[in-house]
Amino acid sequence: MSRAQGAEPRSDSDWSLLERVVQKDELALAALYDRYSGLVYAEATRILHDSGAAEEVLQDLFHQVWRTAEKFDPARGSLPGWLLVAARNRSISRLRRRSSRDDDELTENSVVLPCNLETVAAQNQLLGRVKTILSNMPDGQREAIELAYFEGMTHSEIAEHLSTPLGTVKTRIRSAVEILKQALA
Amino acid sequence: MNSHPIRAEEFELFALGVFPSEESAPIQAHIDACPECARKLAEARGRIALLALAAPSQNPPAVVKHRLLEKVRAEKSSTIAPIRIREARPPVRWWNTIWAPAALALAVATIFLWISDRRLGDQLQHIQQVTQTYQAQTEHAQALVSVLAAADTMTVRLNATPAMPKAWGYVKFNPRMGMMCYSADLPEPPPDKVYQMWAVPATGDPVSAGVFMPAAAHNGQMPVAKVPTGMDCKWFCVTVEPKGGKPTPTGPKVLVGTL
Repeated sequence: MSRAQGAEPRSDSDWSLLERVVQKDELALAALYDRYSGLVYAEATRILHDSGAAEEVLQDLFHQVWRTAEKFDPARGSLPGWLLVAARNRSISRLRRRSSRDDDELTENSVVLPCNLETVAAQNQLLGRVKTILSNMPDGQREAIELAYFEGMTHSEIAEHLSTPLGTVKTRIRSAVEILKQALA
Repeated sequence: MNSHPIRAEEFELFALGVFPSEESAPIQAHIDACPECARKLAEARGRIALLALAAPSQNPPAVVKHRLLEKVRAEKSSTIAPIRIREARPPVRWWNTIWAPAALALAVATIFLWISDRRLGDQLQHIQQVTQTYQAQTEHAQALVSVLAAADTMTVRLNATPAMPKAWGYVKFNPRMGMMCYSADLPEPPPDKVYQMWAVPATGDPVSAGVFMPAAAHNGQMPVAKVPTGMDCKWFCVTVEPKGGKPTPTGPKVLVGTL
């Protein structure tokens, strides 16, 4: 774990808390858990439709933060980004009964969020923005991108699931992603 | 034509995972060797990861945090360095008969102090754990009080529907704070089902205000939920949904209230 160039971080920043986790400070882990467990749990529950399994994913992820905090490099990505990506991957692996590749997931440290999620206010604001972006999409686009994200389906699986031509599905997802990119720019 | 096998607009699609494995494998191989594409993928992953925020808001049970902290404490305490045992003993001397009792007394005192220290450490951990539980309860209570005490909080009565004629409830909603809390008198839902509260705007899709079981919503632990600040909410409803909730209502409405 190496410190990025720049100003000294706040004492309650993700980076400062992670440094304390490296020193095996449980209270720092608890603070990170309080900050991000709601987002991770909501995502895992939405994918798995099983609160017990979502609890296991949540606990395993934060346990991995405890064990491998020294491997996180804040210059390469953000902790909440990694948590959201890893929670999705593990939940979809469970959903599809695939073996989870926990050892590979450190590469997913490279997740650069376009915003800061360290405060509840920032999380609330972004939560409203994302829901508005999705609710303003045409139904077909929203349905397709939600199947891709929350069910882990590929283009062809979505086409089969919706009984829709493959080309239509590709167009819908591409359009939905473009809307998301522009709205978050 | 450039040497990168992935176009700029395809990084998000790759992060989303919609390409079949035969297409994604060579792209991943290139990204592993190309720092520029790896950076673009990291940014695309970040944008796609925000789709997670479309999931209905839910907080995990307090017991998960408790289990996690118990686990990490157990690991910490099991990593105490092993005591090294000397292989050879020095020859016994007559003066050892004087030092031996003193050394024994010192060892006993050391063990006593070590046990006391461990006990104090355990007590401290317990206190920290209780403090965290109280902190979570306090935060919930503060959020609840802030909604209930605000002058601009509105009360909406939830009326029964033919699906559940004896049910009732109410919602306290504050659009300025982007928060709401609610209580409902409902029977236990069917197995593998939960109740889910929805805030429905004038235009757009309903916003989930969390899933709940009737006991939790009626024993003083009123659920508190965040909704988009300034939301132009027109009515509220409670539906029966599969465990874990759904992103949009799918089950029968059992309570409805108009603002």
